[in-house]
Amino acid sequence: MKRVLIAGIGNILLGDDGVGPYVLRLLEVSYSFDEGVVLEDLGTPALDFIDHIAGLDALIVIDSVDNGEPAGTITLYRNDDLKRNAPAVRMDTHSPAITESLLAAEVFFGVSPREILLVGVSAGSYDAGCTLTDVVKDAVPLARQAVLAELDRLGVSYRGKTQADSGIWWSETQPQLG
Amino acid sequence: MAKRITIDPITRIEGHLRVDVEVENNAVSNAWASCTMWRGIEKILRGRDPRDAWLFTQRFCGVCTTVHAMASVRSVEDALKLEVPLNAQYVRNLILIAHALHDHIVHFYQLSALDWVDVLQIPKADPAAASKLAESLSPWTRNSRNELKAAQDKVKAVAASGQLGIFANGYWGHPAMKLSPEVNLLAFAHYLQALEYQRKALQVVGILGAKTPHIQTLTVGGVTNAIDLDSPSALGMDRLEMIRGLLAEVAQFVQQVYFVDVCAVAAMYPEWFKIGGGVHNYLAVPDLPLDTKGTAYDLPGGYIMNGNLTGTHPFKTAADKEFRESVTEDVTHSYYQGGKPLHPWNGETEPEFTGWNGDQKYSWVKSPRFQGHPMQVGPLAQVLVGYAQGHPLTKKYAELALTKVSAIAGIHATPDLLHSTLGRHAARAIRAAMLADLADKHWQLLVNNIAKGDFSVHNQPVFASHEVEGVGTHEAPRGTLSHWVVIKDEKIKNYQAVVPSTWNASPRDNTGASGPYEASLLHSPIADPEKPLEVLRTIHSFDPCMACACHTFDPSGKQIAKVKVL
Repeated sequence: MKRVLIAGIGNILLGDDGVGPYVLRLLEVSYSFDEGVVLEDLGTPALDFIDHIAGLDALIVIDSVDNGEPAGTITLYRNDDLKRNAPAVRMDTHSPAITESLLAAEVFFGVSPREILLVGVSAGSYDAGCTLTDVVKDAVPLARQAVLAELDRLGVSYRGKTQADSGIWWSETQPQLG
Repeated sequence: MAKRITIDPITRIEGHLRVDVEVENNAVSNAWASCTMWRGIEKILRGRDPRDAWLFTQRFCGVCTTVHAMASVRSVEDALKLEVPLNAQYVRNLILIAHALHDHIVHFYQLSALDWVDVLQIPKADPAAASKLAESLSPWTRNSRNELKAAQDKVKAVAASGQLGIFANGYWGHPAMKLSPEVNLLAFAHYLQALEYQRKALQVVGILGAKTPHIQTLTVGGVTNAIDLDSPSALGMDRLEMIRGLLAEVAQFVQQVYFVDVCAVAAMYPEWFKIGGGVHNYLAVPDLPLDTKGTAYDLPGGYIMNGNLTGTHPFKTAADKEFRESVTEDVTHSYYQGGKPLHPWNGETEPEFTGWNGDQKYSWVKSPRFQGHPMQVGPLAQVLVGYAQGHPLTKKYAELALTKVSAIAGIHATPDLLHSTLGRHAARAIRAAMLADLADKHWQLLVNNIAKGDFSVHNQPVFASHEVEGVGTHEAPRGTLSHWVVIKDEKIKNYQAVVPSTWNASPRDNTGASGPYEASLLHSPIADPEKPLEVLRTIHSFDPCMACACHTFDPSGKQIAKVKVL
């Protein structure tokens, strides 16, 4: 059995920053997965992220990214892309710490996931509100597809639910399922 | 001529906490703290069902999700005058204690210890000497030479692979770093152990809260943990015993390692007991209720003005009348429309961005004031308020800390030294040691109450037909948190959160009075303006939490903070 975590990251209250939890929830309500696959809406984690990723075979993260691409662009990042640049001096002791967590899991504890994929969705707006911008909403099926393709690659199976569970509780608009 | 230093975290979403200081003759002569991002999240809550508010408010922050959930349900319970069953109070208290222990441990080791500990010194340490020193300070069983040697080997390997950047602090070899290689090694070995024990604390939050981050078991009027001692799917003896075991392990780490390390590091930097005081007005709310109505608490609250420990004013309840009536928010120097200070129930959040101007508006943070005065909040406020009231548990650990510091430093440490940068670290360790004792007490209270045959966890909320107002408070890891709600027709009419970091990071107000961050930086020494480690030490001692609202991954790995010297 492969241990896989699919994590949605971002703040559901700040526009497109919520795309990670949105895609995550969509997967959760419309598919069932092999035993060993865990889906978690992790919000905006700091170093507690280490505890969620320790000892995994594979980690799939869905997150908004700022990489200069037009909003709604999906970019896939692998392990080395995420750890290439170490964090520098910080003012605030609670900034998000994805890179630091990955490095700590690897360097200090040797428990970093063997396979890592970050499905990055370029964001358009971070204005307060529980709604994605249209262009990011249109990118959601692609992001979902990227996650499922990674599961295929990992040899992990999943099945579409005939009847989806309840929708996305925080969103002011509900997605089309299926 | 004064030199200006700006420390501005660079993120893709316009940063968070920014600090500007003017330096003259190697000391800070003026300071401004600002938040560079507008949130305005409270507006999202208007029109929603008050029973759902906590699910949204716990997304305010990535680290302190639990605290915003708790303050929110309490605000609605206050508005509805709804009592909370004893079991629910104890379950909530255990969640709050476990969350706070996790938070305090992580704050010291992962987020601020490296302001004092120089990782580059570690390879030079003698693990046997470090072990001997550690064993003279604490009965902790994981201070052996072998354990310390393993930690040292990790640092050597990290250094050899060129990955020292993982520590996210970069001021190695700074002249203000003073610990011996052995103490540096010891602190780092505990840095690694801290990651294990903070996880055990979070496991308790996970068991009782069903999920972390974002607990799922709260509800207005109680909790949703079904209690059945024999059922594996409910809160039964199996889970309760697991919780007790985890809390005991965490308590031991806190009292034998964290508390001791803070005292030892403090004793080796005694000059920092005289730096970083700032605002000497302190505010804390009572927490860990012991009855259904909220009239008795295990953590005392109240306020102190001008550092006068003999003239403390206690709060009787967590929603004390004096507290309710004394809080206002001023926007003179904040990027919002508005004139005179407003009470949170009448609070407005209409942005008016004008760009940074130290004489006019310069922050997205409002200036909360208590009876018109800036107040420092956080563990230091709570410990001083408790100490001044003669609260036995606070006195026990405060005096133990002062005794330990005195013995190691060879000085006579008095409570007055706590008005300082190190005082904030010491107070956080004192509070953690108190909470470690209280964890066991509240576990026992819960089990004893269940043993009496009380399985109640929830009272049904009943809405009034007229408009009602409520305040929910929580003495969170970073200090006094209050959520203020106005309810009409079963819907939220207004909602304001006055969070600990806005008390501490507040800009100047209409009288020109600085907030605690700003005041604490005045007169601070600055050895090297290019590397303002001293500013970070003082700001980090508050455990600032400003960045919590947004998370976007930046694949370029740009610098997180920029230091600009003008």
